Amino acid sequence: MHEYELKLLSLLKEKNSAGLDYLEKNLGMGRDAIMWAAESLMGKNAVSIERVISKNVELSAEGKTDLEGFPEEALIGELYKAGGHGKVSGIKNQVSLSWAKRNGWISIDKGEVRLTGAGKDVAAGKGSYGLRELLVGLSSGKGGQNLLSRDKEGVETLIRRGLVEVKERSMVKSVSITEAGREMLEALGGGNEIGALSKEIIKSGSWKSAGFRPYDINAEVDRTFPARLHPVREFINFVRHKWLEMGFIEVSGPIVESSFWNFDALFSPQDHPTREMQDTFFLSNPREISIEDLEALERVRKMHTAGWKEVWMEGLAKQAVLRTHTTSVSAHFIRKLSNTLNENYPLRLFSVGSVFRNESIDYKHLAELHQYDGIIIGNNLTLANLIDTLKKFYGKLGFDNVKLRPSYFPFTEPSLEAFYYDEEHGDTIELTGGGIIRKEITKAMGTDRTVLAWGGGIERLMINSMVFGLDSIQTPYKNNLGWLRARKNLKV
Amino acid sequence: MAVVGFEIKDFESLGYTKGRLAELLPAVGLEVEGMTDAEVRTNVTPNRPDLLDFIGVLRLLDSFTGKSVPNEGRYTIKNQPVMNIEVAKEVKEVRPFIAGLVVKNVDLSGNTLKYLISFTDKFADTYGRRRAKLAIGLHNLDAIEGSELVYGAAAGGEEQHFVPLNSAKQMSFSEAVRSTEKGRTYGYTLGGAGTRYPFLKDSKKVLALIPIINSEATRVTEKTRELFVDITGTSRGTIDNAANLLACSFMYSGAEVYPVTVEYKNGAEVTPKPAYREVKVSLRNAERTLGVELGRHNVIGLANKMGYVAAKYGGNVQFFVPPYRVDVLNDQDVIEDLAISFGYDNIVAAPVSGYVDGLADELTEEENDMAVFMIGIGYTEAINSSLTNEKVNFENMRRKASADKYISIADSKTLSVSMLRTALLPALMQNLRESMNERMPHRMFEIGRVYGLEDKRPREAIHIALVSEHARANFAEIRSAVDEILKYTEMKDVEFKEARDEAFIAGRCASVVAGDNVVGVLGEMHPEVLERFGLEEPTVGAELTIVKEIKYEV
Repeated sequence: MHEYELKLLSLLKEKNSAGLDYLEKNLGMGRDAIMWAAESLMGKNAVSIERVISKNVELSAEGKTDLEGFPEEALIGELYKAGGHGKVSGIKNQVSLSWAKRNGWISIDKGEVRLTGAGKDVAAGKGSYGLRELLVGLSSGKGGQNLLSRDKEGVETLIRRGLVEVKERSMVKSVSITEAGREMLEALGGGNEIGALSKEIIKSGSWKSAGFRPYDINAEVDRTFPARLHPVREFINFVRHKWLEMGFIEVSGPIVESSFWNFDALFSPQDHPTREMQDTFFLSNPREISIEDLEALERVRKMHTAGWKEVWMEGLAKQAVLRTHTTSVSAHFIRKLSNTLNENYPLRLFSVGSVFRNESIDYKHLAELHQYDGIIIGNNLTLANLIDTLKKFYGKLGFDNVKLRPSYFPFTEPSLEAFYYDEEHGDTIELTGGGIIRKEITKAMGTDRTVLAWGGGIERLMINSMVFGLDSIQTPYKNNLGWLRARKNLKV
Repeated sequence: MAVVGFEIKDFESLGYTKGRLAELLPAVGLEVEGMTDAEVRTNVTPNRPDLLDFIGVLRLLDSFTGKSVPNEGRYTIKNQPVMNIEVAKEVKEVRPFIAGLVVKNVDLSGNTLKYLISFTDKFADTYGRRRAKLAIGLHNLDAIEGSELVYGAAAGGEEQHFVPLNSAKQMSFSEAVRSTEKGRTYGYTLGGAGTRYPFLKDSKKVLALIPIINSEATRVTEKTRELFVDITGTSRGTIDNAANLLACSFMYSGAEVYPVTVEYKNGAEVTPKPAYREVKVSLRNAERTLGVELGRHNVIGLANKMGYVAAKYGGNVQFFVPPYRVDVLNDQDVIEDLAISFGYDNIVAAPVSGYVDGLADELTEEENDMAVFMIGIGYTEAINSSLTNEKVNFENMRRKASADKYISIADSKTLSVSMLRTALLPALMQNLRESMNERMPHRMFEIGRVYGLEDKRPREAIHIALVSEHARANFAEIRSAVDEILKYTEMKDVEFKEARDEAFIAGRCASVVAGDNVVGVLGEMHPEVLERFGLEEPTVGAELTIVKEIKYEV
């Protein structure tokens, strides 16, 4: 039962029956609210409503124009100006002629119209026209009801002339509680229900005998706007946790890198197309980053000279870039951790971070994306080990039936690509590229151990995982508050 | 990656139906990009230029299915050289090396010529680094006068003239560079002013402006039966590889290849010389790399399928790499081919043994915890790119840029990218603008990396920034939020001091000072800043340093 209904019913319980004015005064509710409650309760047979029919007159459109002057008044006005007489044939408005005659304002004789004395007085403004005064009285609204009963004949004339209309209105005289209403109230606990709970009610213990008024649970409520974490953070954490579950240690490295760690250490030839300006962000300040690990520098030089049979230039290796992949972090850690005595091999490492491509930014391309990279450093690691790890890892991320196929990366041999078949689109979707880090590289980094490696794009994975209701990788980075508030959950 | 398309009917006539191709191509390691009833498109990785070639793909399918068994003598050229190229000393500075071959009895009908041109073009674009390192020219042998060619380089581009391929008129070298499409695409290889123009001539005329365009005179058509091929470049290894690869392709297609003598100032060379070469592979090492007991399988058969010649040698196996495989550097590459031959799907997954505890990165966890705290005080998280530009980072914030303090990017494809951000607030202001039509209040934050330069060395820090935009946003609100963040971070001895930062209204701006260090700033954003970012309601903001400098373990 709505709060308004309950209030009304509770009042009527004492009063039995009450008029609108009384209710308005004692309920503290507006007339519309009372009427709504009464109608609603009547629908439930809890109250009966006694109505009175009232009649009201309202002016018609024609009546409103005639407020300024009736046609018969206009007629005698014209006659008055014309010297008090004129020809019947010259008068177009027959109605005005007949009313002027009925009022005794004119006489007609042999086609000639003449103003009478009374007519002259009215035309000269010396007398008043009762019918019009009645119309004016009705139009003001006030006392319309009285006029209706006082000057019945006049009103009827106005009705006949189509100047006023009578409208009937049903008005509530009183509202009375029914037996059913009393029972209903009884069932609710006698009407002494608690609305808003307050400190007083709680402390006094009055709630123990009162009971709580139920609320309309489907009523409109104000919206709450949640503050939320960014979906990319949520997704990266989701991926990180899978790694941590598999016993991987998280590492990180700088995004501002020398070409040495981003390219050369990974056996990427110095004239490789990805090292051109159009793919990689080179920096103008700082232009170069020094390579402090001189031992690694010399070994990498040898690796390139022997492998690519080209002159290797230290100057190019020093060029500062924004890293193009997180494999640069892996390179650092292969160097740092693959040849120690006290590490527990196999050592599992991963990193997640921003990578950069010199792209023309549009609806499909971003220049900064996130990547993840995993490596396992160990003594007797095989391609079969990598395949097992990838199947487990992507299985945890929600991709079943991951398959593998050959691929190529300059820094792995053998190389592979993990993919799955997307039945909805009838297409194979690539998940990751990886392989065994080339011996040339591990050797240059100072170890004979084997390194398994793989990596991929966070955003691509996010799209393939169909989380957050994402339609494009652009959407989360617009940071539109409306989208961030309303976006879907991470559900894989 | 290069995408190459072939018509299926060309394979069908050689015994490979569409269905068979769909099954075989991925098995041999060639990714199918798309397949219709008429055409198959493959994605060729940069290590396998031999697969840009129709014949190359066919050859691999033939060996993989056992239709042809590789043998060591297959590509030995017994013919004597039929042409001589004299190399002038002027080429030394521009493009020092040339190789050539003569092909007779070649059939270029159907799609063959189209495939050949597509192959050599893509080969020179990828392996040849857009012709800078390697370029290939195809000529009609009949149109060449005599058998003595000159490979030279002209100092001026005006002296010599020829009719470039697909042109109707005589042009000078410099004009051909300027006014032909190939000239505009590959002219860059010649370098700037004062360049020399490499060319190839027979006894009478110019055959090609290298590596730009051939002469119309030696145009090759579907009816051409004899070819001369020139290969030029900056690295001898690369052009020798290319010449061998091309020779193998022509020989496999059934044509006859004749070598060419190249006379350098310091001695003569005969090209091409395709030959299988031995790569030492320890079978035990291969097994340990793949995790497969190859010894229990027919290793020789596996090698043959990938085009290798292999033979048992005592208890070991000898592997000989075919001459068209320019990517095989050592045993690792052979081992990969054995894996492909064996089938990646047939490798039984084996778990990595040994257990190590996982460990999360501390800084990342700190950021995570802090982000959750910010949600708790009603701010929604934004993540913005580190890439920005001076206008957004400084100018819109009414802040001054000093060039030696931030990291700038040399050559960006996108105008809005020219530097790494030094602050988080500007992007948050952009986010507020993007969120303009959403219900107020707008409260957002970001925890992220900002970058700077100190003594020319890059420096990476972690900041947190927050903004609040709504009709009643004021200094007290942001001070109160910052108070709570400072309590959360447990920063010691922190005080607010009056500060001047042009991004904020003077007198309604404070710096956060911890000891001697300024660790943050907060205040009411200046109306001009709001105007520049397109905001219409009062906005307050703050930015604090969480980690002053990240020291990586690397």
